[in-house]
Amino acid sequence: MKSLFNFAVVMAALTASPVRAADAWGIEHEKVVELTGRVVDIACTLKGDCPPNCGDGKRQLGLLAADGKLRAVVKGPVDFAGPVRDLVAFCGRSVQVDGLLVENPAIHIVQIQNIREKAEQPWARALAFEIDWQAKNGKAEEWYREDKVVKEVIGADGVYGVKGLAPPPPEKK
Amino acid sequence: MRNFALSAIAALLAGAVLALPARAQSSRVQVKGELVDTWCSVTGIMFAQGTAHHQCAVWCAAGGIPVSIRTKDGAYYMVLRIEEQDSNAANPRYVKIQSHEVNVDGELIERDGVKYLFVTKVLDDQGVVNMTHAENGIQPFGN
Repeated sequence: MKSLFNFAVVMAALTASPVRAADAWGIEHEKVVELTGRVVDIACTLKGDCPPNCGDGKRQLGLLAADGKLRAVVKGPVDFAGPVRDLVAFCGRSVQVDGLLVENPAIHIVQIQNIREKAEQPWARALAFEIDWQAKNGKAEEWYREDKVVKEVIGADGVYGVKGLAPPPPEKK
Repeated sequence: MRNFALSAIAALLAGAVLALPARAQSSRVQVKGELVDTWCSVTGIMFAQGTAHHQCAVWCAAGGIPVSIRTKDGAYYMVLRIEEQDSNAANPRYVKIQSHEVNVDGELIERDGVKYLFVTKVLDDQGVVNMTHAENGIQPFGN
């Protein structure tokens, strides 16, 4: 019972620690960072085309820092998913995130891992995509294989994206 | 005293102007390349081009990761609009054309290390033509 309690304490610390630092991935040009900025709809910021509530989850979002620097936030910690649903909850407000800044000479992008509104708050893991997806579709080990749009596209064109081109069947043992 | 007040106001206004985000210039461009997801392809965490990566690119676009056009010389153009489609996160139209080789006309706005592209017209869509699966299998899991 005591070990179960200790496990719960450790898990709670991992998911909501004020001192949590993002994990490095070993990607070329990456830096582990904490960034502060206002959550903005990138297309709105660039072109003034601004639907309500930063597009309500249908627009790519970024962080606009106090010095005017716009960061494109493209990835969250959920496999194969972006951070739009985590960020849109803070549309127009300032947040802190931690994660990876990848300043590839070809394009500068940000992956977030944890998010909070104020420095005194605990970090929260940026898992909104998974939570929302499961609320709509039910539990799945691999959301990306069960998603309705994915199934439709892969069902129509195959895993290679070319009709009629399929991997060979697995060899019989 | 009056001069001091005027100087203070002028300094505040100058500070406010400096704090405003710079309005980026836009230009009309034609871009040709492969539609890729802006995470796997940029970071190189797996082989992320053509048929080998098509399924993963579909997953990423459905998951809301931005889609970019990667040109032959390795430049990335993050797509924020395709013709009349102004939703650009997990839009099924973006999902359906992942890995396609396209030629588009659009408006380019460069800001803080990113080339943002607002596509006004898709001039050509050849479908998936970059045959990479024989060498690279199905990325990243093999199925």
